[in-house]
Amino acid sequence: MSDDFSLDLFPEGTPEGGGEPEPVEVASEPPEPRVWSVSQVNRAVRGLLEQTVEPLWVGGEVGGWTRSRAGHRYFTLKDDRAQLRCVMFAREAERLPTDPDEGSQIRVFGELTLYEARGDYQLVVRKLEAEGADGLWRIAFEKLRAKLEAEGLLEPSRKRPIPAYPACVGVVTSLEGAALRDIVSVIARRAPWTRVVVRGTKVQGEGAALEIAKALGVLARSGLADVIIVGRGGGSVEDLWAFNEEPVARAIAACPVPVVSAVGHEVDVTISDLVADLRAPTPSAAAEAVVPDGETVRTGLRRVPERLARALRGASQRRRASVEARLVSLVRRIERRFGPPRQTLDRAMARLERAARSTAQGRRGRLGALAARLETLSPLGTLQRGYSVARTDDGKVLKTLADLPAGVRFELRVIDGTVRAESLGPMEEEPTR
Amino acid sequence: MTDKDETSLEARLRRLDEILAKMESDDVALEEALKLFEEGVGHVRAAERVLSAAELRVEELLASGETRPLESGEE
Repeated sequence: MSDDFSLDLFPEGTPEGGGEPEPVEVASEPPEPRVWSVSQVNRAVRGLLEQTVEPLWVGGEVGGWTRSRAGHRYFTLKDDRAQLRCVMFAREAERLPTDPDEGSQIRVFGELTLYEARGDYQLVVRKLEAEGADGLWRIAFEKLRAKLEAEGLLEPSRKRPIPAYPACVGVVTSLEGAALRDIVSVIARRAPWTRVVVRGTKVQGEGAALEIAKALGVLARSGLADVIIVGRGGGSVEDLWAFNEEPVARAIAACPVPVVSAVGHEVDVTISDLVADLRAPTPSAAAEAVVPDGETVRTGLRRVPERLARALRGASQRRRASVEARLVSLVRRIERRFGPPRQTLDRAMARLERAARSTAQGRRGRLGALAARLETLSPLGTLQRGYSVARTDDGKVLKTLADLPAGVRFELRVIDGTVRAESLGPMEEEPTR
Repeated sequence: MTDKDETSLEARLRRLDEILAKMESDDVALEEALKLFEEGVGHVRAAERVLSAAELRVEELLASGETRPLESGEE
């Protein structure tokens, strides 16, 4: 815009000399001083500023930060004695990870110019950095982290387990990047039965964050993947920035299947790492975390039939044992049921016997018939069939091996009386458990 | 009922774990144990078939929702 005459604004002696550009007419008489229009002055000064001052870095404190509707940022840079008006146009400002905080120390790079309409001179800012390494990036990171944290999106309880044997692994990354090649080669080596479905996306530069977020959504909605790896290989903070942006964080949080974040980088951590269900340091590590090692699985499987067989043998032994246990308890139940009646019967028998002794011979027949009938009901009938009952002196029935250790003395009731007996201990071949 | 091949590897291995846990616990009846044994062996065979796949399939998901094989070795 500035043209040639701007440089002629203050050449020696020009104002009086009535030179090249046409001065504005003011009066007539004496040689009037040359009078410039405001526009001429401003244009001339602007030209002077732009052409004589090289682009430069300026450091100071940010004040009056405002954003116009068109996305331009206006602010002043101050130190304790002076201030400098600055403007950062939308094109450059869009690349800022975040706006700097009011009052914070920053440095800017740009050219000095003059805004002719107002006569303000200002710095047109091309780059803006906060003090300290990665200052503004760090601030943007912390702001987003705090926001997501407040929403509970970073809660450990939100982390879902990664499936142990995914049939299909989804990948969101650049189709051309090393990350994809690394992931594919790890899965091919460890778990070649797995299906890998990739949704390609730009991973850096303008619009990358939105594209990554969209790719994640598309892959998630396809319903193909059991788990999704999202990431890229290493790069500068700026290269990796998309993974620190809100759209990616939101897409990960909204993903219906677990997400593994794999952004290869030396710098500590990205927002996507924090939101993801699992963070892997590199794409290869993500692949390792997501698929099992085939050899390990096969080894485990090979042992299964043997384990199954052993368990089956165990079950059959337990069954035998349980049949025995059931028999024992059945016998006990029968004995409990028949115990009291047997005593009753015994008493009845005794009374009958007494009665029999004291009554006439003639009644013997009838009594005998009665006794016979009773005997069919009583255990004595069993004794009749050749079984005997082992008891202690005081009448306790001896039923189990435990009741009859070697050396124990007991009585053996047989059909027609009782004998004294002594245990020689259990038979050898009987399993003694 | 054991041999649907759509059953995922994950499901089979999980079921195998269940079967082993059940059979190795104390309260399984012999008839049940036999059934579990057969089912388990079926899963082992099917899982081994799955694992024997040699070639990794890599596909690209297209905007249409369809997939097409992706040549990854390029470059």
